Amino acid sequence: MATVLIPSPLRSLCAGAAILEVAGATLGEILRAVDVRCPGFYERAVDEGRLRPELSVALNGHAFRYGLTEPIAPNDEVTIVPAIGGG
Amino acid sequence: MTTTEKPDYKVIGTRPIRPDGVEKVTGKALYGADIHLPDLVHGAVLRSPHAHARIVSIDTSAAEAMPGVLAVVTHTDLPVVSDKMVDMGEGISTASDMSKNVLAADKALYRGHAIAGVAATNVHDALTAIEAIKVEYEVLPPVLNVQDAMREDAPLLDESRHTKTPAGELSDNASNVAAHNRFEGGDLEAAYAEADIVVEREFDTKMVHQGYIEPHNGTANWNSDGTLTVWTSTQGAFAVRSALSELLQLPVSRVRVIPMEIGGGFGGKIGLYLEPVAALLSRKCGRPVQLTMDRTDVFQATGPTSGGHMKGKLAVKDGKITAAEVSLAFEAGAFPGSPVMAGAMCMLSPYEVENFKVDAYDVVVNKPKVAAYRAPGAPNASFCVEQLIDELARETGADPLQFRLDNSAREGSRMITGVAHPRIGHEETVEAAAASDHYQSPIEGPNRGRGVASGFWFNAGMQSSVIASVNPDGTVNLIEGSTDIGGTRASLAMQLAETLGIEYDSIRPTVADTDAVGHNDVTGGSRTTYASGQAVYEAGLDVQQQLVARAAQLWECEAEDIEYVDGGLRHTSDSEKTMTFAEIAGKQMETGGPIQGRGTVMARTPGAAYGVHVVDVEVDPDTGKVDILRYTIAQDVGTAVHPAYVEGQMQGGVVQGIGWALNEEYYYGEDGRMENASFLDYRMPTSLDLPMIDTIIVEVPNPGHPFGVRGVGEVPIVPPLAAIANAVHDATGHRFTELPISPRQVVEELHNLQ
Repeated sequence: MATVLIPSPLRSLCAGAAILEVAGATLGEILRAVDVRCPGFYERAVDEGRLRPELSVALNGHAFRYGLTEPIAPNDEVTIVPAIGGG
Repeated sequence: MTTTEKPDYKVIGTRPIRPDGVEKVTGKALYGADIHLPDLVHGAVLRSPHAHARIVSIDTSAAEAMPGVLAVVTHTDLPVVSDKMVDMGEGISTASDMSKNVLAADKALYRGHAIAGVAATNVHDALTAIEAIKVEYEVLPPVLNVQDAMREDAPLLDESRHTKTPAGELSDNASNVAAHNRFEGGDLEAAYAEADIVVEREFDTKMVHQGYIEPHNGTANWNSDGTLTVWTSTQGAFAVRSALSELLQLPVSRVRVIPMEIGGGFGGKIGLYLEPVAALLSRKCGRPVQLTMDRTDVFQATGPTSGGHMKGKLAVKDGKITAAEVSLAFEAGAFPGSPVMAGAMCMLSPYEVENFKVDAYDVVVNKPKVAAYRAPGAPNASFCVEQLIDELARETGADPLQFRLDNSAREGSRMITGVAHPRIGHEETVEAAAASDHYQSPIEGPNRGRGVASGFWFNAGMQSSVIASVNPDGTVNLIEGSTDIGGTRASLAMQLAETLGIEYDSIRPTVADTDAVGHNDVTGGSRTTYASGQAVYEAGLDVQQQLVARAAQLWECEAEDIEYVDGGLRHTSDSEKTMTFAEIAGKQMETGGPIQGRGTVMARTPGAAYGVHVVDVEVDPDTGKVDILRYTIAQDVGTAVHPAYVEGQMQGGVVQGIGWALNEEYYYGEDGRMENASFLDYRMPTSLDLPMIDTIIVEVPNPGHPFGVRGVGEVPIVPPLAAIANAVHDATGHRFTELPISPRQVVEELHNLQ
């Protein structure tokens, strides 16, 4: 099971839960699995088959615009974070 | 200071001359305004004299009829584009907002907003012609700061804009607040109730500009075959290509962007201003068109960074920061997209704080749309938090660096996003600053004080591509696509030389255009030496592998029997069989033809940067002038590839931070006119204002890079604002919560003249 940290703006979709344990082999499967318990979550995170441009995913501490096919290992930690840019 | 035993590098860590140095110091390097093409014509842009006005009508007929005028364009010449989000690599905008910023549609939203463009046989005719364009405006009241803009009865920049709330919904009422986000964790109320000390203040910062020396420019040639070629000064040729493709509704394959040398950017040369207008004019008149800005245009019509209003409340118990509640409202300028979220996520990242609530408001105002500026958002936000931390340290009687060390984030600490830090170097950096000669020396004398502050920046990875072509004489042409702003030709060439084990002078780096190399994201986010360096390393390994195969062919053995060591090849069981890099390079033709290495990466593990600054100031109580007496910066750089350029980045960031702290601001009249739109009145620091900035390079290698590299360019601008404010407080006993800490503000505060 991967650990998914729910960002505070999306916790209202998850009955206030901050952490969920879900199963999935890819990032897309993980987000789908979260959506089963938090209806609307997938749509808030994904648009046109990719992460929304304003979002990023931190996988084990490294934020990146991962694709939905990114492999996820059972003990991985997945966090949805806002995307940022630099100068 | 290095935290681990450093590998025995031969090139990394040396200080060679930059490959582009001679051309630049002899004036031979080509910048955007140096382009001269056959049949080139020049253009000018009509800009709004009003900060906020509805455009009732635009009549271009008189201008079009003037001698020498070849074309006139307005927003109606731009294709209708969607609200699709476009990622420029420095932030997200919608295509429609970008289009309306390039040429105003129904409203002029800031003074200097482009209204129309003219192309003429010479620039004088173009400037005369824009005067003949008749624009009927319905002038509206401007909104010039976030507090005014957030009032319920504020004039709206866009009547259809509603606030995107933390839950992702849109507010019922239209608003200038484009977005509100919130991060929450722990039990804030309980932490405040149990705290030993709580400090609470409000802070204000002003809009400031990056101040790059080269104004924006753009030259476009819309060819008769429907392809478009653009020469421009940009931090990201591929970002320009993507944006032009979106704005002009052209396939990317029809757009070629040629990046010229760049006279500074600091984040401000990622967005588009002139290029689409030049392209439209070129399409209309059938000739290449060049547009350039003057300094007033640069100030009024490009992308500075946000001013804003902040409220902070921090608590401490038993020497530990136990609670932080911070509200940030940043100016986005005319369209949404301030760096408030980055500021929100950076400001507490040097520390472990269990209980927090952070609100971030992105607010549109009648000022130019902001752009990235070196660690965008972080300096402003740190100005708030690092002063409150200074106050907590004072209140508890702690040394301010020891207080930071006691509360420092480390590997495994969680940021407010919930993300756990990988290996970071804040503690090592605080320790280096504390051990410095500067911090160990007393500061004495009246009106003098010392301040410190920490800063954090994420750093970026993203996409890079390079090609390494081996020449028969043993040199290597390195083709890259990352704009060289701060010496990255050198830092990338050094990493390739290190990988191949050959001399730095054997590498010839070239920055190529969008038709000549694979995709490269912007030179921004302190990513190029890290991410393109990773691509260079892969290209070097690719070359090594091919050289081994060629040697196996020559020696009639298996590749596994050959080692690539110290820039050459040797047979593992026959010591007689060796070849230098140059020898095997000279045998390319007879062993199968040209050897070319390839490196492409999606760099995922950039490794965050931390800096800790110590500054001594002297305040003249009569004139209010603040002099910087001594400044020391300690920064974790991972591995310093070229220490001189690393030190230059550290010093440059500090200098810009000093200007932001003490002098720089967009000074607006009530009508929304910037009243200091020249370098004469917009006071940036010069060498006469500054002492030597002492640098301490801390090396906590980034485990996510083959040489341990972390980005270095942005974090040095994060701490100076707060460090200087803390020093001024130490000198005067007065807490300055508004920037700039100008002579006027100091005199008014010290003499109670407000």
